[in-house]
Amino acid sequence: MASSTASRRLFLEYKNLTSNPPDGITAGPVSEDDIFLWEALIQGPDGTPFEGGIFPAELKFPKDYPLNPPTMRFLGEVWHPNVYANGLVCISILHAPGDDPHHYEKASERWSPIQSVEKILISVMSMLAEPNDESPANIEAAKMWRERRGEFERKVREGVRRSLGVS
Amino acid sequence: MSDQQQTLSIPSLLLLAAFTAITIRYFFFTNSSTTTPRTNSRTANPAHVEQIATMFPQIGRREIIWDLQRNGGSVAATTERILSRGGLDAPPPSFQPPIPTPTTTGTVGTSPSQPKPEHIDLITRYNLSSKLSSPPSTPLEGIGNQGAAQAQTWSNNKNERQALLQRRREEMILNARRKLEEKERQRLGQGA
Repeated sequence: MASSTASRRLFLEYKNLTSNPPDGITAGPVSEDDIFLWEALIQGPDGTPFEGGIFPAELKFPKDYPLNPPTMRFLGEVWHPNVYANGLVCISILHAPGDDPHHYEKASERWSPIQSVEKILISVMSMLAEPNDESPANIEAAKMWRERRGEFERKVREGVRRSLGVS
Repeated sequence: MSDQQQTLSIPSLLLLAAFTAITIRYFFFTNSSTTTPRTNSRTANPAHVEQIATMFPQIGRREIIWDLQRNGGSVAATTERILSRGGLDAPPPSFQPPIPTPTTTGTVGTSPSQPKPEHIDLITRYNLSSKLSSPPSTPLEGIGNQGAAQAQTWSNNKNERQALLQRRREEMILNARRKLEEKERQRLGQGA
């Protein structure tokens, strides 16, 4: 029962995202046989070192979506303070209101059923442009971003080129 | 009146009997035959056992497995109990689970290196190398002009939808690749 609500909602979100896609975002189920596993492509925001890059990510939805948020994991290399080494994205919109591992997030920023996949992807896109220094998931990247910005940007740009097969 | 009460109590009696049977069975199984494959769903995950054993080398694996089985396999709950009480309850002597071989260097050596996958590039990942050389479908106006590109994105046919999504993904990657190559050419041109 609950999971059919979830699939209906996900299908609707898929339809809306496809008919009216936000700039630089393509997202949908890997296969419609499993509507709970999506793959998204996010374009690196202009004016940032991520510019020109395409970042694939996987979204896994819980059976009780939208009560609980999906998890999101970048499938390629993303050197960013808020992305773990294994690609897992750590931002407030992906945290359920109940769990606040860092005790800094406002309830309004966190996941709630009125959020959507589209809002998650847009938040992640702006996270690429503006890292949140308060809760680094990748401490090395956060340190480099804070102290050696030039090196950080160079490393990100190299990653973008590598990911598109231009070396 | 009493007849009705009689009929009502039979299902509940049956239910009680079934419940008792299950309970007895449950205790019987966990005590005597933990090694049988039938209890596999209840046996602790060896990875979890290993994880806790690494954190608390002073705790025996038998105690860890016992605790994990009783709390439904929650690593967090077992960890919490060890931290708050300094140890775990001793399992009954009859509890003799198959204890995983303690830290063979092989398993420990490979597991930390596994979560570091080699990143493959997008062209390989989406199998686009054959499409790289082919010219862009609509050279410049198609990329910049969104109105034209928004021809059809949604279809009511499942397979068609899948194909459309696939094409949008591929176009997004190929466009990015072309733009990067273009930038590269300009950069090299300026350098020369």
